[in-house]
Parts: sequence; C-alpha cells; structure tokens
Amino acid sequence: MADFQTSTHRARWIFSPQQLVEKYTAANQRARQTLEKCGASLMEVDSNGSLSYPEPQTTASDSAEKHSRVKPLSNEEERCIKVFYEIKLQEVCNNFHFPHKIQATALIFFKRFYLQWSVMEHQPKNIMLTCIYAACKIEENHVSAEELGKGISQDHQMILNNEMIVYQSLDFDLIVYAPYRSVEGFTDYMEEFCNTGEDELPKFKALQDTAGREVDKMMLTDAPLLFTPGQLALTALRTSNALHKVVDFDSFLSGIFSHKNSTHTMGELLESLDAIDSWVRKYTSPSEKELKHIDRKLKSCWGHDEGKKREKKSKHKSRKSSKEAQNV
Amino acid sequence: MAMAAPGQLNVIESPSRGSRSVDCFEKLEQIGEGTYGQVYMAREIETGEIVALKKIRMDNEREGFPITAIREIKILKKLHHENVIKLKEIVTSPGPEKDDQGRPDGNKYKGGIYMVFEYMDHDLTGLADRPGMRFTVPQIKCYMRQLLTGLHYCHVNQVLHRDIKGSNLLIDNEGNLKLADFGLARSFSNEHNANLTNRVITLWYRPPELLLGTTRYGPAVDMWSVGCIFAELLHGKPIFPGKDEPEQLNKIFELCGAPDEVNWPGVQKTPWYNQFKPTRPMKRRLRDVFRHFDRHALELLEKMLTLDPAQRIPAKDALDAEYFWTDPLPCDPKSLPKYESSHEFQTKKKRQQQRQNEENAKRLKMQHPQQHTRLPPIQQGGQHAQMRQGPSHSIHGSQPAVAAGPSHHYGKPRGPSGGPGRYPPGGNPSGGYNHPNRGGQTGGAGYGSGPYPPQGRGAPYGSSGMPAGPGGPRGGGGSGYGVGAPNYPQGGPPYGGSAAGRGSNMGGNRNQQYGWQQ
Repeated sequence: MADFQTSTHRARWIFSPQQLVEKYTAANQRARQTLEKCGASLMEVDSNGSLSYPEPQTTASDSAEKHSRVKPLSNEEERCIKVFYEIKLQEVCNNFHFPHKIQATALIFFKRFYLQWSVMEHQPKNIMLTCIYAACKIEENHVSAEELGKGISQDHQMILNNEMIVYQSLDFDLIVYAPYRSVEGFTDYMEEFCNTGEDELPKFKALQDTAGREVDKMMLTDAPLLFTPGQLALTALRTSNALHKVVDFDSFLSGIFSHKNSTHTMGELLESLDAIDSWVRKYTSPSEKELKHIDRKLKSCWGHDEGKKREKKSKHKSRKSSKEAQNV
Repeated sequence: MAMAAPGQLNVIESPSRGSRSVDCFEKLEQIGEGTYGQVYMAREIETGEIVALKKIRMDNEREGFPITAIREIKILKKLHHENVIKLKEIVTSPGPEKDDQGRPDGNKYKGGIYMVFEYMDHDLTGLADRPGMRFTVPQIKCYMRQLLTGLHYCHVNQVLHRDIKGSNLLIDNEGNLKLADFGLARSFSNEHNANLTNRVITLWYRPPELLLGTTRYGPAVDMWSVGCIFAELLHGKPIFPGKDEPEQLNKIFELCGAPDEVNWPGVQKTPWYNQFKPTRPMKRRLRDVFRHFDRHALELLEKMLTLDPAQRIPAKDALDAEYFWTDPLPCDPKSLPKYESSHEFQTKKKRQQQRQNEENAKRLKMQHPQQHTRLPPIQQGGQHAQMRQGPSHSIHGSQPAVAAGPSHHYGKPRGPSGGPGRYPPGGNPSGGYNHPNRGGQTGGAGYGSGPYPPQGRGAPYGSSGMPAGPGGPRGGGGSGYGVGAPNYPQGGPPYGGSAAGRGSNMGGNRNQQYGWQQ
C-alpha cells in the first residue's frame, strides 16, 4: 500500500532538531557569502526554474562602503521572518476559504523550501503565495494564478515565475501528510474505542475541533519537520482531551498500541508527544517592532532587485530616513 | 537530497536545490518524439545505468507547470510496484540547453524538466507488431497476469490509469511488463465520487460508459481497456478500431450487443444515451465471434467486456480466473525470449525511405496492399515465439516488412509507427486497405488533418481529439512515456458541449479546460 509508511514525507522530510539547525545555518551562511561578494543576496528566478545570483560588485571602494552598511540576518531573525509569513499564509488561505489540507500542504511546502534557502535569497512573500498556488494544484483544488493574485492584489506572474524553483526545492516530493486527517482518524477510533452512543457524538466533535486548532498552532513551529503527522495529531488530541475530558487518554493510547504492531514503544511515543508540546510552548511570534527592524534589514540585503522600487520611493524613503536620523 | 558535484561547490554557481541537473545524464539518443517533446535514452554518468528521460513540455501553459505532469509525478512517486514503471527522479536543466552542435537552440530547449524512468526495451504493441511475431499462450497469460497485477495495485491505491493500451505497457528483456504513462491518471476516492472527465482513454480502448458521457466512474474503465488488449492479443488485431466516437460505440454494440435496462440497469440515464442508442436490435455476439478462443480465455473476456461497468470483473477477480490457473499456465517472465531492442526514432528514416518505396510501387501497380494482421497466438503451450529475422514477404504480401520493426513507444506519436498497416493515421482502419498515405506526413506534427473535424462547435463529438488526438486513435502521442498533456485537445467544446468542463474555463488553455476538470 502506498501510505505514509512508504511516502517521501516519511523517508526524506522528517529530520532531527540538529539536522534542522544545520540546514538553516547552511542556507544562512551561503546567503551571507553572497551578500559579502555581491552586496546583495536576492536571487532572480525564471519560470523554468533557472536562477541567477546578483552581479558581483566590481568597484572595490563602492562595494566596501556598501558592505559595511548591509548586515545579514541571523538564523533567529530569519526564523522571525518565516514565522510572520507562515501566519500570513494561514490568513490568506482562510480568506480564500480553502480546506485545511491546502493550508497545511502550503505551510509544509514553505517550511521545506526554506530548509534549502535563506529568506535573504528568495522573498518569502512570493514564496508563500507560490506555495499556496502549488498546494492548490497538488490537492486538486484549482485556483488560477490570476485569481489568487487578484485576491491578494499581487502580480500573478510572480507566482508562476517561482513555481518551478519551489518544486525543484521540494525535489518534486509533492505529497504531504497533514495531521488534520490523522486527527479525524484517531477521533473515529476513539469513538469506537469508547463504544460511543449517538448522544455522545457532539463531545467528540468538540474534541476534534479543539485538536484541529492545536494542530494549527503546531503547524507554525518546526514540529511538522520533526515528527510524523500521527504523532502531531495525538499530541493535539491529548491537549484537547485535557480540556474536554472525553476519554482516559492513557488507556486510549494503550488501545492503539494493542492494535498496531508499532515499531515504537509507548515510552518513545510519549516522549515525542511531550517534545511536540514543548515546541508549541516554546513558540513565540516576534513583536511588531522587532519585525519592522528585521524587515528593514532584510530589504537592504535583497539589494539590487529592490533598486527600482527604491528609486521610485526614494523621496518617501529619504524623508523617512531623515526622520529616523532625527530620532537617533 | 542531491549532492553538488565536485567543483560545483562555488556558492555563486551552485545554489542548493532539491533536484539534480540533467547534466548527470549523458543523452545517448532520442527514442521518441511527439508534440509534447522528446524522450531520450540516456546513461547516468556516475553509475552507467541506462534510463529513459521524458521531457515535460512547459510552453503554452498559462497555469505554469502542467497539472497533468503534477498528477503523473504525484502518482508515480506514490506507487511502488514491480508492474508499474518506476519514476527514478526528476531532473532539471538549469539553463539554455545546447543542441548537438553546442548552439543554444532558441527557446526550444530553454531550461527543462525531465522525468527519469527505468529503461524498458519494448512496449506490448511494438512487440506484437514485430514481423512474424507470435506470442505463445503461456506468454499471453504471463503478460496478462502482470498487467492485471499492476492494475490491481493501482486500483487498491485509488489510482485510475485512464489510458491503458498496448503502447503504454512497457516490457523489458526479462519479460517484465510495467504500466507506464500516467499522464492521464488520477486519484479517485470511493467516498467523494467526484465528477471526472469522460474524455480519457484512447478511443479504441474506451469503455461504453465513457462513450455515453458518464462522468462518475471508477476502476472498471481500465478493465474494459484490459479486455480490449486481451482480445487483441488473442485475435491478432484490435477488436474495436472505431474512427470516431459514434463508430466506436457501434463497433462495441455489434460485438457486445446493445445496452438496455436489463443488461445494464441505468444505461438510459447516461448523458448521451438518447443520442447514441442503437437504432436496431443487436445481440451479443462475442462468444460466437471468438468461438475459436480457448474456453477459459473466452470466459474471462466475457467478464471484462461486460457493458455494465458495475458488473464488469475487477482486476482482483480477474487474477483469480480459471484462465490463469489451468494448463498451459502462465510462464515465468524470465523464460521468455529476449527480443532485439529497437527504437522508433532510430528506424524512422529507414521507414520513411521504405514508405517512399511503397508509394512508388503503388504508383506502378495501382493496387492496394493487404492490411497487415498480426499472427494469432501459437496454440501449443510451452513453445516460445521464434523471432523471424528479416522481411517475411510470404506473410505480408506486397508490403515490405520492417525488419527489426519499431517496437518502442515511449511516447511518440503512435500513428505511423506501429508497423505497416496498423493504425493508419486517417484512413479506415477496418477497411482492409492499407492507407496509401499512412504516415506520409511523418512524425506527430503532420497529423492536423485526421478524420476528425477540427474542433467543430456544437456538433456531437465536434472535437473528438481527446485521447485519440487529432491524428487518429493512436496519434498525437500519449503513449509510453508520453508527456502529460498531449492527449488533450486544444480547444472546442467536449462532445456537443455537454457536462464536461467548467464553463468559465472553456476555451482556455488545456490545463484550465481539462486538467482541472478532474
């Protein structure tokens, strides 16, 4: 059977925390190097997936001067930016009333993409929209690029330009398993497990809904890159059950183990559930002020490509900067 | 994850990306070509392994990467079975590709995406069409069993193939058969029962329910195609070579009888029943026409070519049929003879020359050559076909046989490539005449003027191109490793503008028009 067990998701996209750090660091380092060499780090992409880095700066004095000004983002700053756009991604999907699985697929695509790249190299706003567009395609829920672009007042050509680089960065592993379905599955099993009568069904509905919102939270952390959808779902259900008190969760878990000839022990599973909980607890979204600061830094890293826009807005900007100067 | 090649670690030149570059492969030769692009035989430089590279055509896509390619990739990455072609990876060409002379060739090769498949030596149609080829009964059983096993696996995993035909069944020299070209395939779910397009499956292999306009269907559509292939193997030639949809239905009714509420409850409710209901009573003649078939074979065929999809045998039950469990038993694939591999593209020039000769001969003789028919299977079990080398004039009459004929169909236009006389691109396949201009236009591009009115508006079957393509039942690619979308017509309403298609998307590019319509 083709299922999660034989999926690319399980085989290639579940990492250890250490691996994640290494990947984030590698992408960050590469962008730093580019920034140092070229004075900017944003890459240009073409609809066929071809890429080009910014032109290296040749005039030594000019670049030296510039480099002293442009500071790269740290890993943590990159994380803040990604978090911001992941929340945005959820908002956009909600505004379009997409099914949950589209949002989850798009989020996972976005996370996987930025395992390979730094936000200094590819603008997260564009990548976010492209991930939503791609998720719609993959989940057979078609929205034309134009429709999507219009809905958020963005040029849809940008989406199409980035589509290929997104697929390539995902290595065309397009099927992702979101925890929402696992939540449904486990809830059904819980109902069976408890010999639920008709009158009790609303309780389980409430349990499932709360668990779904718990999953929404997890989806904003690194947990989907670290744990299986089943583990995420169970954690969400455990939290939800602590609130609704529908079943004895421990005996429910034992029940699962007696059915499944799992390769993991109960202890290992509980360890994972606790770890997921702690990821959710640790999660912080950056403050607006922090974000503004990082965003400004990021824009200067992007450099060249922003050049045109900068020219247009130069008056506005200079006014702003003079104000800032006054404030200092 | 891909590793950067040594020397490529320079930050500037080699950004990290998931998929490898096509440069990891050395193109050996082109083995297919169609409107969709090219298929190459290639060698992986690092391992020396021979693979097939299928280029995904990217132009003319208003919606970016073609949805058909997405589906094919998704499905193939999900399926792991010995009777399903293995998609090894996707590779990309980062920049403008060079042609043979090292020049950048305009826009034609600008960047590209290739699907890397395991290499297969033949396809079933090509193999069957080899001059003098006669399959043995154990051999047919062996192929049929593999076909059913692979298809059963697809159906269990909720994948409909939707283009089962001989040229999409690839065979290697170990006798293994694998389902290929999932460009029309898609996932189905038993619960949702979504409306799917009825414009799938190559005409000759298309089941009656699709021809009658059904948009809710399931695995049974593939089983009809399997029945057609089974009969074709035993009979020696295609059994329903219709030239358009009405004729296709008529041929089916002539053999399988007319559908009515007794043999097919609900048939009168199919969208186009009233348009196409038979005008005269027709009895089922299948047993009579194929009375020379072995009893168990006929029994199984009856169950596959059942008009009512609900009563048609599923793949799983077909595998349990007496046919596969009575003497002569299916042979071990490995015991099958090895046939010399040959590629359509290689032999193209040779065949063009041949056609020229034929034409000249015709002009002199003013007579039509006989239609080539495959030889029926050898009835004694256990023996394997002997490959006849060289021309066999005694069999093919005035038609020069194609020695080492093309037996490879990774996905080039199927029209003229099937060997002499088969599937003329625009003629009357059942007329007994070899179409004088068969393949005269050569290649996929020349197929514009087939028997189908191009995209007629309003008329029933106005744009019949769907799987058949404008070039006839086998034309227009879509076979073997054919890329994603070639089977989709470029525009025009579906047959008579009925149910299929979302109104607002009609007339757009093919993605919008068909791809998204389930």
